[in-house]
Amino acid sequence: MDSSSVDPGRRAAERAPGALKRMTNAVGAENLSLIIALAILVALIASQTDAFFQTRNLLNIGQNISVVGLVAIGVTIVIVSAGLDISVGSIAGVASVVSALIITQFDTEIGSVAGGIAAGAALGLVNAAVITFLRVNPVIATLATFSAFRGLAFLIAPGGRSIGVLDQEFTWLGVGRLFTGEEFPGVPVPLVILVGVAIIAHFVLRYSVFGRSVYAMGGNPTAARLAGINLTRMKFMMYSASGALAGLAGVIVTARTSSGQPASGTQGLELEAITAVFLGGAILAGGKGTIAGTMLAVLLIGTLSNGMNLMGIATFYQLVAKGLLLIIAVAIGQWRMVRAERMQARAIASTGDKA
Amino acid sequence: MPAAPILQVANIDKAFPNVRALSDVSLEVFGGEVVAFMGENGAGKSTLLKILSGDYHADSGTVTLDGEPVRFHGPKDARTAGVRVIYQEPEIIPHITVAENVFVGELPKRRGFVDFRELRRRTNKALQDYGFEGFVDADALGSSLSPAQRHIVEILRALKPGLKVLALDEPTSSLTDDEAALLFKLVGQLREQGIGIIYVSHRLHEIMQIADRIAVLRDGKLVGVRQAADTTETDIVAMMVGRNLTDLFTRDHAIRDQIVLRVANLSSRWHHDISFDIQAGEVLGLAGLIGAGRTELAKVLFGEYARDGGSVSINDKALVTHHPSDAIAAGIGLAPEDRRGEGLVLVRSVLENTVLAILSRLSRFGIVSPSVMTATGAPLIGKLEVKTPSLDQEVGKLSGGNQQKVVLARWLAARPAVLILDEPTRGIDVGAKAEIYRLIDELASGGIAILLISSEMPELLGLADRILVMRGGTIAGELSRQEASEEAILRLAMAHDAEPEMAVQ
Repeated sequence: MDSSSVDPGRRAAERAPGALKRMTNAVGAENLSLIIALAILVALIASQTDAFFQTRNLLNIGQNISVVGLVAIGVTIVIVSAGLDISVGSIAGVASVVSALIITQFDTEIGSVAGGIAAGAALGLVNAAVITFLRVNPVIATLATFSAFRGLAFLIAPGGRSIGVLDQEFTWLGVGRLFTGEEFPGVPVPLVILVGVAIIAHFVLRYSVFGRSVYAMGGNPTAARLAGINLTRMKFMMYSASGALAGLAGVIVTARTSSGQPASGTQGLELEAITAVFLGGAILAGGKGTIAGTMLAVLLIGTLSNGMNLMGIATFYQLVAKGLLLIIAVAIGQWRMVRAERMQARAIASTGDKA
Repeated sequence: MPAAPILQVANIDKAFPNVRALSDVSLEVFGGEVVAFMGENGAGKSTLLKILSGDYHADSGTVTLDGEPVRFHGPKDARTAGVRVIYQEPEIIPHITVAENVFVGELPKRRGFVDFRELRRRTNKALQDYGFEGFVDADALGSSLSPAQRHIVEILRALKPGLKVLALDEPTSSLTDDEAALLFKLVGQLREQGIGIIYVSHRLHEIMQIADRIAVLRDGKLVGVRQAADTTETDIVAMMVGRNLTDLFTRDHAIRDQIVLRVANLSSRWHHDISFDIQAGEVLGLAGLIGAGRTELAKVLFGEYARDGGSVSINDKALVTHHPSDAIAAGIGLAPEDRRGEGLVLVRSVLENTVLAILSRLSRFGIVSPSVMTATGAPLIGKLEVKTPSLDQEVGKLSGGNQQKVVLARWLAARPAVLILDEPTRGIDVGAKAEIYRLIDELASGGIAILLISSEMPELLGLADRILVMRGGTIAGELSRQEASEEAILRLAMAHDAEPEMAVQ
């Protein structure tokens, strides 16, 4: 969906818009390949098992990707800015425990949700402080807090154990269904939350001053600073946003499992989220990546897991498949970039590059 | 001097995408002599050195070493053949000792392990032979060396059997006078050993002292070669300058009677006691050699680097800068020298780069609508005639001239009171240069106060109403449009070396 990641193919498309080219323009070339990959995957799975297209199963996929999807939204923002946040899974763990503590101690649903998100945002601020004031590289900083925050989650959980949550109104956030009909089992509440947050994040990243600044600082931090963007303030905003979204994910884990979990349910979230962000078209160097791409990638990975489960393929193979998927996706991206550059060089050579 | 030259380059041509760096350059270096290369920034000295070191390939022409034609495919070939180039910043490996640095790649071994005793013995012998045993310690770490020591180590590294030609690129730029004297001593010793030495420097005085012959380059051509004994510094300066590009310039702007930028007694890490002002509609040129502190001054004014003292005001309002955003808010714009590294977000679009400095101004409740962005950016991109297939094109895919126009469009959009242009035409071909000059004139006509930093003399002479010359972090002098000439600028920029001699004549 990113209007600026135009390759020469798109220029041709603007001259002679065919149906396919128009579609490419609408969703962006990178996202189109994700959609094609998803279509192929769905066709493959559906040919092997009838269970896939059952409404219940499709909604299950939605339920399963919600938590990682929320985390991946925050991580997208950070990675587009050329940063990285490895601590999000641990932050979700802390938020899960915090929300459970609040609901069991004070019996306030809103307070519990707000507390979980606030805890996440606060830990994000800690990340930002370490990165900006102590000048620690984001990878190392969040690798350190990845460990520290997980420890914190166990420390604040009484006895380091999970905390049972019985409040039905609260657990509705994780297991509830909306728009339930006679035949229709209803849309999972976490999926509704994910879609809502994703739409907001999409607009913020594309159309807000904050979002445009994220792209600029990711593409070239010096140029961004010399254009008046305060990188320090931006980092605080981004890492707290990433933390808050991880906090929200942690709250949903609590609601879904009816327990505040220091570890289970949030461990490994960071790696799944980061995988999705890169699969979705972001680059480690920064300046590129979209919420739409990340969401498609989350859906692709979720569908892959679901399909392999339905086909009875062991988890071990699933892990290998996910890894291969990421490598293939990034390799294709690299290949396209090299090809685009080569075409560009040829164009310059033939015109003599007159300014 | 032996009859046959040790190094001979003949009819060398080298072109880069936007510029012809060397054309038809021929010269020779004999064993046991020091040949100085002189020329303004961009005259082609570095390109020639890089061809000798094997970093660049000449488009045409030949290099002959000891009568044998050679063709270097990389620095390694050049080294094997006996040609070494030592650059301004010597490549010293920081975490190993001087001895290891000197013999890197050829450490003495015993039973498969490095023989440290032998290594130290050889290093100390080399230091003794050249009289540096008290100056450099063989066991010191690379990271602890001073710039002079680094040069000595790098030269010792180059002094291996078979060395025929040694080229030194601005070796004294970061040395004190005493350290430079040590270096000259070493150069003298090498000359006596029959090595051909190429010496590149801006310091005329130093050149006259050390060189046997002086080769002057200008715009990629060899202007002439003089015997140092038979020439004067004035002659050399005259050879370095003196070309006419005035046709390129438009000058329609008029200075208005209103001081926009006022700088008083500014000091910083790089500067001391800098005072000047710029009026509305005035183009103030800022000349000086590399390292004089011009780019740093731009960044101090822009809030990127800290100002330690003095005051800056814009339209009589004192300017306090903690961050470039403060300078932008106060009405300063900066088009940095390193356009790709510091000016543009190459992976983002033309439009995004154009509105980058005014995102907040265009926003309502933190949201910038795409139509507002286009409405602001598109007319500017059109006005500046940026050649791009669309506003969505990645800036990194445009040519240098068009990239610079996008940077200028950004500051047109911001409507600053003061615009600092740091080397605005670097790496841009002549046609695009003329367009940039026309734009600068237009901006001044619109009442913007412009600070034009440039190393290209004709550019300063053609565009600027006044020229400040910087040297060693302060203002060495000011030249009015009437007084300004390339000779006058160079004289101020290099005054430290040239003045006494000039006075005598």
